[in-house]
Amino acid sequence: MALVLVWAAELAVFALVVAGILAERPLPLAATGLAIVAAAVGLRLRPGLRRALVAAFVAHRRAALAGGALLALALPLALRASPYWTFVAALALLYVTIGQGLNLQIGTAGVLNLAGAAFAGLGGYSVGLLTVTAGWPAWLAVLAAPWVAVIVGTLLFVPILKTRGHYLALVTIAFVFIFNILMNNFEFTGGPQGIKNIPTLRLFGWPFTAKPSLLGVELPAHANFYYAALVMASLTTLVLRRLHDSWLGLTLNTLRDDEIAARCCGVSITRGKLLAFCIGNFFIGLGGALYAVMVGFVSPPDFDFGYSLVMLSVIIIGGVDSIPGVVLGACLLLPLPERFRFLHEYRLLLYGLVIVVMLLYRPQGLWPAAIRRYR
Amino acid sequence: MSLLEVKGLTVSFGGLVALDAVDVGVDAGETLGVIGPNGSGKTTLFNALTGLYAAAAGEIRFAGRELAGLEAHAIARLGIARTFQSSRLCLALSAFDNILIGMQAGRRTGLLDSVFRRGKLLAEMGEALERASHLLALFNRDLPARGFERVGQLPQIDRRRVEICRALASRPKLLLLDEPSAGMNPEETAELMRDLQIVREEMPGLSVIVIEHDMFVIEGVSRRVVAFNYGRKIAEGPFAAVAAHPEVREAYLGRETARA
Ligand SMILES: Nc1ncnc2c1ncn2[C@@H]1O[C@H](COP(=O)(O)OP(=O)(O)OP(=O)(O)O)[C@@H](O)[C@H]1O
Ligand SMILES: [Mg+2]
Repeated sequence: MALVLVWAAELAVFALVVAGILAERPLPLAATGLAIVAAAVGLRLRPGLRRALVAAFVAHRRAALAGGALLALALPLALRASPYWTFVAALALLYVTIGQGLNLQIGTAGVLNLAGAAFAGLGGYSVGLLTVTAGWPAWLAVLAAPWVAVIVGTLLFVPILKTRGHYLALVTIAFVFIFNILMNNFEFTGGPQGIKNIPTLRLFGWPFTAKPSLLGVELPAHANFYYAALVMASLTTLVLRRLHDSWLGLTLNTLRDDEIAARCCGVSITRGKLLAFCIGNFFIGLGGALYAVMVGFVSPPDFDFGYSLVMLSVIIIGGVDSIPGVVLGACLLLPLPERFRFLHEYRLLLYGLVIVVMLLYRPQGLWPAAIRRYR
Repeated sequence: MSLLEVKGLTVSFGGLVALDAVDVGVDAGETLGVIGPNGSGKTTLFNALTGLYAAAAGEIRFAGRELAGLEAHAIARLGIARTFQSSRLCLALSAFDNILIGMQAGRRTGLLDSVFRRGKLLAEMGEALERASHLLALFNRDLPARGFERVGQLPQIDRRRVEICRALASRPKLLLLDEPSAGMNPEETAELMRDLQIVREEMPGLSVIVIEHDMFVIEGVSRRVVAFNYGRKIAEGPFAAVAAHPEVREAYLGRETARA
């Protein structure tokens, strides 16, 4: 019975999301909007139902995960008429990967890295240079690029990681702008034009520009990247959840909350922050690398400070230090301005507003970090 | 055998000499009481011992090693654990997490185990949680059941206990307690003194230094006492002798007349 409830709830969310994305005419759009509001209000007014749902999801965690995975696999089928929305869905999944990396730094360790865009850019540009200039195959470049983000981050920031307070935030903001200026002016990175014609991914002879078909249904070519991003986001989320629910997460949380207490318990602050910084930058760089092969080119405006803010708002919306929160935050925040085109021009304003409202009224985020239970 | 030997320890902040050529020693298994009026340098002694403050002069030998120049986390790993005068728990984390952090220096699993050998990690975590429960139960049998609650939700006295458990979790050789009864009412203070008795009985080999502001609280806990005033050690010996020492009486009475 509870199992049915879990799957019915997941199916309902899936249906609402797909309807919300695909409804073009005012009437269906309004109907979907009404359904979403009705569902939200219903859950608010019926705490019994809410509790039953939560209990069902807790009791059937594995089944819920399996159901969610199945629906995630099926999403391109539902979106097959729109290559654009398939692309947006893939982008949201890239932001899950990036968000998990950044959340380890900002949320778990309190290392306020506002250079997310630059580290993603290091991954993206590395892919561009390794493929176009050095002639590497795309998959190898995608695997190598995150290490560039890790190494550059380590070399530049080790002296600053030790400082307390907001130095790091200021220095990382400066770093994003410096990164942009450099990319605009270096000859070997293509200046303002960036690097074009990045070859697409090719796995086991399958080029990602070919249209895949699933269950006999032909999907847009971007579905390739959707599935690649889905695998990457799932693996990243699994790895970060395991790291969070282990000595590392515990140590980083402690040094975030009280450095003196942490030191007196034998925690090396430098080592802890450096670990968080490197692991985080790896996944941020990985997201940027896959972005580069997905869109086929990189240029400075793709990695400007605005994207650092997008990444930050993903974390704040979802829930600081919360692994499922990052997934929720990315899946909500990336598609939203795409859906409402009139919002698109004001997207940074929207993100800024969302951050302020969340910090004022729900600082723990939509899906707050849970207590570690080590199981 | 002497576990800790402090000789000529001097700590100053600008022109203020917070500790002035202090000698202190603690034997293995001994409990030493430290008393002294406000600002007499008691906490500064702990901060110097744990590597938070650098000494201007003097030496600190602990278990045969010189501690000068070691970082705080390295000193903690040698076996000195402490609590703080005003609580330094991570209120957003669970009581168990606050205790487990004390055990992380002795962990046997690394990052790769956390990701790829989950069973091994969870087994170790299970043992750690069990030990944390055991430590909590020493002080309050109902506390382990609340171990997964955020520590900020526990009453003041239980938070103090969690902090002591965190210090004990690292299996230290020397435990430093900075005014454990600070902010407690008389009943709670009595309970905490009983808790310290329990620690003594459970861990007979452990050396303890307890700071207490109120010199009569210390009577039940430690046999040997040192008294500070203005950064200098003014008396040392059995409690009765120290309490009767003219300079100690003057330091405390002087404070009381100043207050009146
Ligand atoms: N970090 C610091 N910077 C400057 N002065 C300090 C610092 N820490 C302590 N002091 C000064 O050193 C002196 C001793 O302080 P300490 O905290 O050791 O006193 P205490 O004996 O613990 O007093 P209390 O009973 O109030 O806790 C005080 O005058 C205090 O102001
Ligand atoms: Mg003090």
